[in-house]
Amino acid sequence: MNDVCMCMCVCVCVCVCVCVYVLQMDDIDAMFSDLLGEMDLLTQSLGVEDVRPPSPKKEVNLSVGFTDLNESLLELEDNDLDALMADLMADLDATEKLAAEKKAAAKDPHPTLENLHLPSPDHASVPAPPLPPAHRASSVPVPTPVPTSAPAPAPSSSTNPPSAENEEQAKADKIKLALEKLKEAKVKKLVVKVEMTNGSSKTLMVDERQTVRDVLDNLFEKTHCDCNVDWCLYETNPELQTERGFEDHENLVEPLSAWTRDSENKVLFREQEDKYAVFKNPQNFYLWKKDKKALKDMKDKDKELLLEENFCGSSIIVPDLEGALYLKEDGKKSWKQRYFLLRASGIYYVPKGKTKTSRDLVSLVNFDNVNVYYAKEYKAKYKAPTDFCFILKHPQIQKESQYIKYLCCDDHRAMTLWVTGIRVAKYGIALYENYKTAVKRSSASSSWTDRINSTQSTPSPTPKAKAANGHVPPPPPPPPEPVPKAPSTQPLPPPPLMDVLPPPPPDPVMPPPPPLPNKGGLPPPPPPSSVTKNRGGALPPAPVEDFPPPPPLDDGELPPDFMPPPPPAAGVGFYLHGGEALPPPPPDPVGLPLAPPPPGPPPPPPPPPPVGAPAPRPVLPAKREGPAPPKRTTPGLSAPSGGDFMSELMVAMQKKRVQQ
Amino acid sequence: MAAWDLSVTVEDLGPDAPPIVISVTSDLHIGRVILDVVQKTQLQRDWSDHALWWEQKQQWLLRTAWTLEKCGIHADAKLVLTPQHKPLQLGLPNGVTVRLCACFSRAVFHTVVEICKVLNIRHPEELSLLRPVEVKKKKKDKDHVQNIYDLTDVSLTSDSIPCLYNGMPVHFTDSPKAEDIYKMLSMCQPSPSPEALAKMYRPASIVDKTHIHTRWLDSSRTLMQQGVQQDDTLWLRFKYNTFYDLEPKYDAVRLTQLYEQARWAILLEDIDCTEEEMMLFGALQYHISKLAQSESQNRVSGIEDLDCALQSLELKLEGDKSGTTDMIENMTAPELNDYLKIFRPKRLTLKGYKQYWFKFKDTSISYYKNQEERFGEPIQQLNLKGSDVSPDVNVAGQKFCIKLLIPAPEGMNELYLRCEDEQQYSQWMAACRLGSKGLTLADSSFQREKKSIQSFLSMQRSNSGDQSAQTSENINTFSLLSPRYQKKYKAKQLTPRILDSYQNVARLSMTEAILKFLQIWQALPDFGISYFMVRFKGSRKDEVLGIANNRLIRIDLGVGDVVKTWRYSNMRQWNVNWDIRQVAIEFDGNINMAFGCVTADCKIVHEYIGGYIFMSTRGRDRSDTLNEELFHKLTGGHEVL
Repeated sequence: MNDVCMCMCVCVCVCVCVCVYVLQMDDIDAMFSDLLGEMDLLTQSLGVEDVRPPSPKKEVNLSVGFTDLNESLLELEDNDLDALMADLMADLDATEKLAAEKKAAAKDPHPTLENLHLPSPDHASVPAPPLPPAHRASSVPVPTPVPTSAPAPAPSSSTNPPSAENEEQAKADKIKLALEKLKEAKVKKLVVKVEMTNGSSKTLMVDERQTVRDVLDNLFEKTHCDCNVDWCLYETNPELQTERGFEDHENLVEPLSAWTRDSENKVLFREQEDKYAVFKNPQNFYLWKKDKKALKDMKDKDKELLLEENFCGSSIIVPDLEGALYLKEDGKKSWKQRYFLLRASGIYYVPKGKTKTSRDLVSLVNFDNVNVYYAKEYKAKYKAPTDFCFILKHPQIQKESQYIKYLCCDDHRAMTLWVTGIRVAKYGIALYENYKTAVKRSSASSSWTDRINSTQSTPSPTPKAKAANGHVPPPPPPPPEPVPKAPSTQPLPPPPLMDVLPPPPPDPVMPPPPPLPNKGGLPPPPPPSSVTKNRGGALPPAPVEDFPPPPPLDDGELPPDFMPPPPPAAGVGFYLHGGEALPPPPPDPVGLPLAPPPPGPPPPPPPPPPVGAPAPRPVLPAKREGPAPPKRTTPGLSAPSGGDFMSELMVAMQKKRVQQ
Repeated sequence: MAAWDLSVTVEDLGPDAPPIVISVTSDLHIGRVILDVVQKTQLQRDWSDHALWWEQKQQWLLRTAWTLEKCGIHADAKLVLTPQHKPLQLGLPNGVTVRLCACFSRAVFHTVVEICKVLNIRHPEELSLLRPVEVKKKKKDKDHVQNIYDLTDVSLTSDSIPCLYNGMPVHFTDSPKAEDIYKMLSMCQPSPSPEALAKMYRPASIVDKTHIHTRWLDSSRTLMQQGVQQDDTLWLRFKYNTFYDLEPKYDAVRLTQLYEQARWAILLEDIDCTEEEMMLFGALQYHISKLAQSESQNRVSGIEDLDCALQSLELKLEGDKSGTTDMIENMTAPELNDYLKIFRPKRLTLKGYKQYWFKFKDTSISYYKNQEERFGEPIQQLNLKGSDVSPDVNVAGQKFCIKLLIPAPEGMNELYLRCEDEQQYSQWMAACRLGSKGLTLADSSFQREKKSIQSFLSMQRSNSGDQSAQTSENINTFSLLSPRYQKKYKAKQLTPRILDSYQNVARLSMTEAILKFLQIWQALPDFGISYFMVRFKGSRKDEVLGIANNRLIRIDLGVGDVVKTWRYSNMRQWNVNWDIRQVAIEFDGNINMAFGCVTADCKIVHEYIGGYIFMSTRGRDRSDTLNEELFHKLTGGHEVL
C-alpha cells in the first residue's frame, strides 16, 4: 500500500513537471543529496519496494525547478496536455520493459525515450485531476494506470536480492548513478508545441541534445506523413513577420531558448519545397544565369555532375549570385538599391562609383553570427519595394532592431536564390549531409510502407516488420534490442508477454477494419487501432501504408485495449486532434490488457511466454509488461530522438530498482 | 652497301672537342652507332643514359633497333651523343630553387612525373613546367645569391611509390643534407619581407594574367625539343586547378607546395579577393608560420622536450598526491575577478566609464558594485555566447578596451569594458572571445588565446615604431597581405583586423590550417581560372577566354565582365585546326564556337581543355596508375597521334 501511495504522490509531481514549459533542473543538487539519504533509508526499510519511492522524489525535485507553474500550465491547451501525457506514457511503458535489460547491459549515458521507466500509470492518474473534464482521451487511461502501477513494483522486486553484499554494491552504484543523473539533470528540456499543416498541433518534449533531424523523425512517427525530404520545422516570428526553416543539423532547443516569454513565435511542421531545392535542382542555383528552359530540361546526369562539382570537392562552392537588391539601411526607413554579390565569406555590395572587382567590395555581413529569414509582407510593414524580402539577423534578436539587415528582391525567384545561396554559404557541407540523411530517411520509410503492404498478405509479417523497424529510425540499434531481450532479462516476462502478444491471432496484425473498432468502441478491431485513432477512424486498411511501417503492428494491439473503456469519448477526442492521436494509445493498453488477446501476433519475441499468460493478466505486473513490448516498437521512432526528460527519469529509476 | 661517314658530337668530351667521325652504312642500327662512337671516345663511364639527339630535326633517336635509313639519317646529319637526364634548376611553388636531374628525352608530361617522384608529390598530372618570368637583373641583385638545394645525386631505387622512413621518403634519408631538403619541401617557408613582396611582379590587369599562361611548356614534347638547355631554370607549378584526393598523410610535400602556390597567388594578386578574405588569409598565414616555427624548433630539441615533459609529469603526479584541495580547486570552474570599467553608449547620455567589480565565469560576465558585494546579486549578468567581441585598443595611448555587442531580443547591446593594462586586457579579451564561442575559461585554448593577443599587441607596438622590424618571434603584418594594403592602411589598423580573423582559426593544427587556407582559396569566385587572350570567330576585337576545371568563360576585355560560359559537360567535341591555329568547339544543342589564340600557343589552350577533361576522368576508375596514354590522346593534338 505504501508503495501505491507514494506512486500517486509522485504522479502529481510528474504532471506538474510535464506542464512546465521550460524545465531546468539546475537546482537539483541540494535536493539530490537528500534524496540519496532517503533512498538508503528506504532500502533498509522496504527492501525491494523502495525502488519506487526514489523515483517519485526525483520528480518532485524536478518540479521545484519550475517557476511559474500556472502560467505554463495555462499555456498548454488541454488537448496538448493530453497528447503530451499520452506520449510520455507510451514511452514510459515501452521503456519499462527495456529498462531492466538495459541495466544489465552497460549503462547508457544518454537514456533514450525507451528508457523511460516511470510507471506509466502514475502519469496518467496525475493528469486526470488537474485537467478539465474535456479531456476524455487522457482521462481514459487514468483508471487503468493505477492498478498497473501497483503491480509494477512487484516485478522489479523480484529481480533483486536483499543480501548485504549486494546492498553495498548497490549503494556504490547508486551514487554513481546519482552523479550521472546530476549531469543529466543539467540537460535543458523544452516542451514544444508544433503546429501541423491542418492547424492542429502536437506537443513534444525536446532536450538540448536533440537535433532538428531527431525531432523530425519523432514527428514522422507521430504523424504518419510520407517522410519526404521536404518536411521541416519552421519557425515563425509574427512580430518581425519572418520565418525560417531550421536546418536538420541544428539543435532545436537553442533557437527556441532565444524566444522571449511573451513570444508569439511558433514552430510549424510542414513541407517546404525550398528546403532542399538546391540539391534537387542544383542548376537553378548554380546556373541561374542560363535561360529557364535549359534549366528545366536539365538531365539528371548533369545535375549529379553539378552537385559533385560544388559539394563533393575539397571546398564547397557557393552559387555565384549577384544582382541589384534593395537594402534598408540601419535605422533608416528608406530602401536603397545596391549591387550585391554572394561569396563564401559573406554578402558584399559594390560601393558607389566602383566596379565589382573583389578588392573593392564592401562587406555587408558575414554569416558567422547571423541566420537568414524569409520576411513576409514587408511592403506594408516597412514600405519595401516588393514583398520578396529576407532579413539577416542574430538568432537571438526577436524584435525590430537596427542590427537587422533588411533586403528586398525583385521577385520570388531572386529571393529563393539568395536565401538558399546564403544557406549554402553558411552551412556548407552540413547542408548536403542533411540532405543525404533526409533522402535515406525518406526512402527507408517508403520501402517500409512497401514492405508492410507485402507483409499484409503474408502470414508471418512480424519478423519483417521488425527488421524494417530497425532501419527506419536513425539509431536503429536501441529499439530492436529491447524487444528481444526484455523478456529474458526480466524475471516475470511470461505473464506480460502473454497479455500483449497472445499468439492465437497472428494474422490480425494487418487487420484492415480499424475504423470500425474506434467507432464501435472496443470489440474486435485491436490491431490497427493506433492507426485508426490517428486518422480519426477515417482510415480503412489503406492508411496503414502511410504510416511509418514499424509502429502500426505493435500499436495495433495496444489501441484496442485502450479503446474499450472510453470508447465514445476517445473517439471524439481523436477526431478533433486529427493527426495527434498517436501518442495516447500506448498508455491505455496497459490498463486493458485483458481484453485484447486477439491482436497479439506482431511482436516476435513474445510467443514463448504466452502459455502462462492468461492467469497473470489480471495481475498488475503482468499488465505492465504486456503493454511494454508492443509500445516498444511504436516508440521506436521516437526513441532515437534520445530522450524525454521523463523517460530519462524513468530509466534511472528502473536502473535503481534493478540494482536493488 | 656503300659506307659513308657520320659525325657525332660527344658532349662528354667537352664543348670544344671535334665531332667523332665513324664510318657507317645505311642499314646500321642506332644502337650500333652509339656503341661505335663510345668505343672511339675511349672514355670509361656509364653510357647507359646516353642517346643520340638529331639537331637539325630537333628530335631524339631513341629507337636503337631502327636503322639509320629508317630514321632518315644521311651524311649531313648533325648528331649529338648526350645524356637523356640533365640537371635542371627547378623553381618550386614555395619560391625555393632545387637542382635536379630531369629527363630531356621524353615528353614533358613524363618528365614531370619523374620530378614529382623525386620530390614525393602525388598526382603529378596536376603539375607542369613553365618558363620563368624574366626578371630584369638589377646590379644590386647580383650579390644576392640564392641558395640552391641540390638533388641531382638522389637516385630512386624503384618505380614504385617511395616508402616512408621516419615520415620521409627513403631517398631523402641518405644524408643530413637530403633531410634538410625534405624539410624545406614539406615545411612552409617564412613569410617574405614586405619590401621583397612589394618588388615582385604582380599582374595589374586581366591582360597581365593572360601572359603567365603563355609560358607553359608543351606536355607532349621533350624539353630538348622546346629549347631547354642543361641547367636552365624552369618553374614547377600546379597547372590544373583540380586537386584530386588530398591526403595529409601522404601529401606532406604536395600540400605544402600547394599552400605556397596559393599563398603567393593571394599575395601577388594573381587571384582577387575581398578585404575580409585577405584578412583571413593573413591570419591563416600567421598561424601557419607560427606553427612551422615552433615545429622546427621542436624537431631540434625533441629529446630535451621529452625529458621536460616527463619531469613536469612527475611533478604533477606528486602534487596531486599531496593536496586534495588543489584537486578541488581544479575541478571548480576557473573564473576571472577584477575591477574593470564599463561604458554603455546610449543616446543622449554622456556618462563615462564607471568602475565595478567584474566576474567572468563560464561564458558570462557579472558585475557588482564593489568587491565586497561579490557574493550578492550582480547588478547585471551578461551571457557572451554568440556575441560580437572586438578590440578597441591603442597601445601608444594605453587604451585597452573591449567592445562587446551582446545579442538580446531587442537587438545587440553595445558596451565597452576598459582594462588597465595589457596584462589585464589580454586575459579578459581572451575570456570574452572564448565566451562568445560558448567556451569557458576551462577550455585549453584560453592560454593560447591570451598569448596570441599579447603577441599581436606587441606587433602593434613594434609596427608603430619602424615598419621593417621583424624578428623570428614577430611577423610583420604587411608580409601577410598583398602590397596594396601597405599603401591603404597603417599596420596598427590591420593588426586588430587580422587578430579578429585569427581567433577563428587559432585552434587549427598545421594541416587543418593549410587545408582551410586551400579551401577558402578554392571557394573564391575566380579560383582556378586560367586566362588566355583570344579572338573569337566573327569578332574583331581581342577577348579573354577563361579556362576552368568545369567550364570555359568568355570575358569582355574592357569591363572584365563574364559574357558567356560553356560547361564541359555540354561539350560534344573540340577540334584544332593547326594550320590556322584555331580551336573549334561544339556544344550540345548545336552551339558552335571557335577562336584563335592571340598570345599563347594554340597548343597550350588545347592542352588546357584536354587536360581538364582528363582530370575529370580520374575519379571514375580508382586505380592509382596514371593513364599517360589517355592524357596524350586528350591533349596531344595531331602532332602526337
